[in-house]
Amino acid sequence: MSQDSQLTVRATAAKVSLSSLFELVGSMRFAISLLVIISVASVIGTVIPQNRADNTYIDQFGPFWFEVLDKFSVWSIYNSIWFIVIMAFLVISTSICLTRNTPKMLKDMRSFREHVRGSSLRAFHHKVELATPRDLEDSNKAVQVWLKDQGYALKVREEPDGRLIAAKRGSGNRFGYIAAHASVVLICIGGLLDSELPVRAQIWLFGKAPIVENMLIADVPQSGRLSIDNPSFRANLFVPEGGARANAVVSIGDAALVQPLPFQLTLNRFIVEYYATGMPSRFASEVTVRDPDTGETFDRTIEVNHPLRYKGVTVYQSSFDDGGSKVDLLAHPLTGTQPGPFELSKRVGESVQLPIGNTGREIQLEVTGLRPINVEDLSEGIPPRATVLEHVASVAGTAAGRRERNLQSLGPSIEYRIIDDSGQAQQFHNYMIPTMLDGDYVILAGVAIDNTEEFRYLRIPADEAATAQEFLNLRAALADPQMRQMAAARFAQSNVPAGMDGAALETSARRALDTYADSGLEGLSQFLESSVPADELSRAADVIVRLLGSTMSELRALTRERAGMAPLDPNEPQNIRWVQLSVAALSDLQFYPAPLIFSMQSFDLVQASVFQVSRAPGMWMVYLGCLLLTIGIFAMFYVRDRRIWVWLKKEPGQDSTKVLAAMTSQKRTLDFNREFERFELALGRLNKRKE
Amino acid sequence: MAQTITAQRDQWEDLTESGDTRQVRGKPDWTDLLFFAVLSIGAAYALFTYSESMDIYEKWILVGTVPAVVWLGWLWRPLRTYMLITGVSALFAIWLYSGNLARADENFFLQYFFASQAAILWMCLLFLIATVCYWGGFVSNTAAWLGTTLAWAATYAGSVGLLVRWREGHLLGPDLGHIPVSNLYEVFVLFAIVTSLFYLYYERRYATRALGGFVMLVITSIVIFLLWYSLTRGAHEIEPLVPALDSWWMKLHVPTNFIGYGTFSLAAMVGFAYLVKENGETTSYKKLAPLFILGVLLAAEPMVFRTDGLSATWMLYFGIGAVLIGTILAFRRPIAKRLPKFEVLDDIMYRAIAIGFAFFTVATILGALWAADAWGAYWQWDPKETWALIVWLNYAAWLHLRLMKGMRGTIAAYWALVGLLITGFAFLGVNMFLSGLHSYGEL
Repeated sequence: MSQDSQLTVRATAAKVSLSSLFELVGSMRFAISLLVIISVASVIGTVIPQNRADNTYIDQFGPFWFEVLDKFSVWSIYNSIWFIVIMAFLVISTSICLTRNTPKMLKDMRSFREHVRGSSLRAFHHKVELATPRDLEDSNKAVQVWLKDQGYALKVREEPDGRLIAAKRGSGNRFGYIAAHASVVLICIGGLLDSELPVRAQIWLFGKAPIVENMLIADVPQSGRLSIDNPSFRANLFVPEGGARANAVVSIGDAALVQPLPFQLTLNRFIVEYYATGMPSRFASEVTVRDPDTGETFDRTIEVNHPLRYKGVTVYQSSFDDGGSKVDLLAHPLTGTQPGPFELSKRVGESVQLPIGNTGREIQLEVTGLRPINVEDLSEGIPPRATVLEHVASVAGTAAGRRERNLQSLGPSIEYRIIDDSGQAQQFHNYMIPTMLDGDYVILAGVAIDNTEEFRYLRIPADEAATAQEFLNLRAALADPQMRQMAAARFAQSNVPAGMDGAALETSARRALDTYADSGLEGLSQFLESSVPADELSRAADVIVRLLGSTMSELRALTRERAGMAPLDPNEPQNIRWVQLSVAALSDLQFYPAPLIFSMQSFDLVQASVFQVSRAPGMWMVYLGCLLLTIGIFAMFYVRDRRIWVWLKKEPGQDSTKVLAAMTSQKRTLDFNREFERFELALGRLNKRKE
Repeated sequence: MAQTITAQRDQWEDLTESGDTRQVRGKPDWTDLLFFAVLSIGAAYALFTYSESMDIYEKWILVGTVPAVVWLGWLWRPLRTYMLITGVSALFAIWLYSGNLARADENFFLQYFFASQAAILWMCLLFLIATVCYWGGFVSNTAAWLGTTLAWAATYAGSVGLLVRWREGHLLGPDLGHIPVSNLYEVFVLFAIVTSLFYLYYERRYATRALGGFVMLVITSIVIFLLWYSLTRGAHEIEPLVPALDSWWMKLHVPTNFIGYGTFSLAAMVGFAYLVKENGETTSYKKLAPLFILGVLLAAEPMVFRTDGLSATWMLYFGIGAVLIGTILAFRRPIAKRLPKFEVLDDIMYRAIAIGFAFFTVATILGALWAADAWGAYWQWDPKETWALIVWLNYAAWLHLRLMKGMRGTIAAYWALVGLLITGFAFLGVNMFLSGLHSYGEL
């Protein structure tokens, strides 16, 4: 910066007065800077997910940066004070700009500027100067006729020896400017009225205290309740099927306020309809609304895109949830020699402490969800295509799906969380009935991967009753050294070649079974690697797998005997397969992160609807603003303002007339240039006589 | 006395229009009336036949479309011919289907021309050839003329494809059909069509084909995206609507939005042409560098969004894009000579942004109204909404500076190019990167 300009800056700084601040805030420079700041802040808000739990951000940014960013409310940027202040400045800036320019513009819209001095027209860039043999009256008439024909409004000023015609067209352009800028003010104020600000203001001004802990709505003190006449709120309303609610909940950060509603909503039925692909096609709630003042009731269906509007409150279908379905569970221990199971009955959302065997330790089971319907596409994705032609053919023709889809209904499933005594939580997702996967009937038991929404599934072979019970019995038997011994003995007995000693075979089988029970297939393969030379490894593995399979088959037979089930032919392919699947699944069970597995026996579905209820007093203001904005923008761009002055002056002592004309516009586009050319040509005809 | 004045007046010619009719639209004539009648009959037929499948708003939209289309046809006459031929072709295809989707594999015309995917593939192919022809137009006028013809043909094929696709949706299942503007694939076809139509309008209005190559670069990118999206992701398959999208608002909101996106990208490419012309005589690499970098950034944009590593397709796209931009800059001198005057480029840029801004405003407002119905709030700072606001603010600033501070030329052109980068992110990046309520366009 040069010294001169530094001086100027200092001088201005010294003179900062209200008017120059006014000037600055109303300037376009300032407004544009605000637009840029708002844009940048908005970008931050889209990149950083908003309104998550603090922990998420601490994980992501670390404690230090969390503290720093927290100072700027980056987690809920659009409700932060500084963002609202910037918005307020935008409103002020636009208002100043409006108040300063509107009177000028309105005056300008009305004025024809007919008092312009004739000779000053020479200073215009777009001007025409000529002399015509027509006399003053005739020229005047001809010009006026043309101007009117072109849609100009005009005003004429008489002069001693001449006449000045001032014409204008498209004054609506200025109106467009006013409308567009007024709309910005309207929209911002309306939006502010509908934001979180009014509720926050009630917290500051009327001492409302948001509730942090869990409590029944009936127990919430007066300070935690908003007025039933609260003009502006956005709240959530959770209604289970059969339930009636008249209070919604306004969330403020991690806390909440109760918002009483001027009516009571009863959910009769929640409906989800599905497309054939399993994708939901419709969410709808059949409700009964009761007005407590009149006792009047009526039925309505609220669905996505079709909200209910009643008593100034709008009720939207925003999502759905479980309304406390009753689920009957079986708990199967995964440790010890007792196969279980024991029964328990819970509602979704409830939790219970359960002992782990005789260890004296406990886990907490929390039933988190019930999915009555699961449809999944089990296909392998897009089949490979070799040639270019095949590629083209695959996307040509109709837009109907060509992909082989393997849509399967997997039946109901249960989701639960197990929290161990050290506080570690793990999410599970188990299906109720078996699914056909790769030709086998298996029951899928899912374990969330790293606490995400994605699950890895254990494939448990189903038994004749389509349950996992036989598999779990087999697990208990495998855990029992005695049973293992018996299975190995039986195996040796039936497999020893004639005249050979069965003891060696029994020992091998016993050892394989023990290793497997102890550390799964992984353990067996480690054992092999350490004790068998590398070149014989594959043959040895083959032998041991068959050995294990057959022994497990014996173990299964023993388990079935104990359970009083009919014996099976172990050589039937389906039984061989069952044992193979069990061997794989039992091995995977080594890594199962819970001492119990739960299966669902039956359930009684209770759905719940989650509504968003709101009163938005600023809405009509915003809508009016939007209308003004649309009209304003189109008027600004497409109403072309034009001014023309034609000064006609009688040449002294002659009949002829001197013509001086000028044309101007706010926007000198190419169109304006062309229009001027036309005007020039038209005026030129003043010299032409009729043929 | 009065008589003499009249007699005198008669000697003189009136100050009539100059005869320069190029800028003046004729008064609506009988052809407009006929067009109106045909459309009205069509709309009335649809109203009676499909009365049960439409709610009252959709009926009003249908009724409102008739005068809007007639008005557009009056604004720009070639549009009428285009719409008539498109409509007749689509009806022909629907007649060929005669209610049976399987006929697409038997009927020659459907299989190779009129089934929606066949038509859209034709559109892709024709746009690609048109791009080459437009660039050839810098050498040969015939090639440029061919470019125009092919661009029209491609636009026609694309619109027939979309119309037939609409019908195919209904043939797939009674509850499956919907206007084909519901996912990224469908709107990309619309995007190509809108951009091309606006370009063709300016081409005729300013009597220059030199900009075709530039604008077609954007359309080529769209086409490549479409092909990639359908070939590798199977995105061309008609999917049923999620409940939130199942609304008559979609018919208004999405097409309006794409008028904005189309004209913004057109303006950006004209800005690119402006900068090429401006640097026609430049020999300093420093001056060319920012233009090259910006061009390369635009070419890299689709790749930036990939979250699962870099795919070979987009690496190749990026490489070829960079080479193409380099080539354009290398031939800047002859290209600059052929490009229209600076004022014309500047004017097109301004007009395109003005139209785009007006329609983008309306689209955003319509979106807000729809959101109020579907999600319970007209504005909730969803990433897509926020980015729409950012795009809007960006062009609002551009227009303020242009109209009030007289910003012209270089800065305006660079800004328009950067605008495309932002717009591109707003409707590609947000769908792929950021989760939110608009996440139905995910990849």
